[in-house]
Amino acid sequence: MFKIHRLLSERSRSVTVSGLALILFLIFHLSGNLLIYKGPEAFNAYAHFLESLGTIKYIARIGLIGLFLTHMFFTVLVVKENIKARGKRYDVSKPVGKRSLATRLMPMSGTFILVYLIVHLLDYTLADHHTVASVMNGENLGLYGLVLNSFQTPWRVIFYVLAMGAIGMHLVHAIQSVCQTFGFNHPVYSKHIKRASVFIGVLIAVGFASIPLFINVVASCSTAASCAL
Amino acid sequence: MSQKINLKLKVWRQKNTSSSGNFETYKVTTDTDASFLEMLDVVNEELIVSGKEPIAFDHDCREGICGMCGAVVNGQPHGPQRKTTLCQLHMRKFKDGDSIVLEPFRARAMPVVKDLVVDRSAFDRVVQAGGYVSVKTGGVPDANAIAISKENSDLAMDAAQCIGCSACVAACPNASAMLFVSAKVSHLALLPQGQPERHSRAKQMVMQMDKEGFGNCSNEYECEAACPKGISVSNIARMNRDYLKAGLS
Ligand code: HEM
Ligand code: FES
Repeated sequence: MFKIHRLLSERSRSVTVSGLALILFLIFHLSGNLLIYKGPEAFNAYAHFLESLGTIKYIARIGLIGLFLTHMFFTVLVVKENIKARGKRYDVSKPVGKRSLATRLMPMSGTFILVYLIVHLLDYTLADHHTVASVMNGENLGLYGLVLNSFQTPWRVIFYVLAMGAIGMHLVHAIQSVCQTFGFNHPVYSKHIKRASVFIGVLIAVGFASIPLFINVVASCSTAASCAL
Repeated sequence: MSQKINLKLKVWRQKNTSSSGNFETYKVTTDTDASFLEMLDVVNEELIVSGKEPIAFDHDCREGICGMCGAVVNGQPHGPQRKTTLCQLHMRKFKDGDSIVLEPFRARAMPVVKDLVVDRSAFDRVVQAGGYVSVKTGGVPDANAIAISKENSDLAMDAAQCIGCSACVAACPNASAMLFVSAKVSHLALLPQGQPERHSRAKQMVMQMDKEGFGNCSNEYECEAACPKGISVSNIARMNRDYLKAGLS
């Protein structure tokens, strides 16, 4: 039987499981986004496909929001417990091991991702996809046009690229951490898992970040007429 | 060659568990051949002569096998030398004129008793929560009657190296006791004698660990680096597996 206190006693593992599900979402989201390189038809068709899912799409969205909330709620709970577990803090504290920057910055990268997520949802998900903001060369290109036009603003590109850096860092620690928490540790393979963790984290970050960079730098709209990929 | 060095110590002094405590500074001249605890003995002799309260610190074997000693030296449990207990740290690791900050291992589950002495009975309660190991009664069994692979026997003995000093808790940014508990879980989980209660034991010990108020592991691996016996975090993964299996069965 499901008991709420049972879930609460699995605080730490709840962070891991929701985090793992979010990583799978990111991979799905990245594959969809990369369709932008195929042009307006492919990308908008993908957007319409998601739109056409109707109820399923809303269920998925609620699930996704649930995952983010679970991840954040239990993270806050666990961090509060950890601070309490130390009690009085050390006057001098010097790491003994090889804690990487990614590991040390987990709370900071996580918080940055949250801020980013709010901005990001306002930018696209909650925006109307068929206003003047989507018009390129006199043609309304829907979500595709909205994304391309929005990344003509340099500060938005910088913000998105920094946020992808934070996501990459978060994943570099997170992926190998998930393996350890689920009990996978091996004298040979663990080294490779750590490397794979860095590789996948960087790959996902570069994949996402390439989009605003490519749009702004390579396919820059010096004139309205040249504004296309 | 031994030589004399002058050091400045900043030591945490706390009368008892309920008092708040503060740092006091002391000057000491020590021989570089002295161990860290011998250096503290010298400080204490001077304190006693001048009618002051000596610094309380735990110790017993002074040869790195009992797990009684330990303090945080300049931000690192057991000091700057890896895989070494505080009693086996020698003053040749320090230079003339060095300042040393000495603090107790800090965790809410292990309150300070006095100065650098902490109460580690939470560890005992975690081990007790593991319960019994089922054995056959009757005649004395043949030695070596139970077969065990060389690999598992080695891994079990590695886990059994844990001396329960609690440097892992002190080093963990979250004051988690996962390395200690996993070493205790592992050394039985790897042996044939530990199989009957294997999964329930892991679960009971983890639950007791949480009840004691230790923090949550976020896989920072500071514990392994700080452990004077080099206990591996692969033990934590093994405990996580056993704990999950206990939940599924
Ligand atoms: C630069 C990289 C990214 C770009 C260009 C991008 C683009 C988009 C676009 C265009 C949408 C709207 C889709 C629609 O309305 O149908 C969207 C939705 C979304 N994005 Fe991103 N995204 C990026 C990175 C991320 C990252 C890293 C995360 C996760 C932390 C994320 C989380 C979301 C979420 C939760 C949604 C809402 C999904 C839904 O509507 O069901 N995005 N993104
Ligand atoms: S006093 Fe026994 S290990 Fe240091």
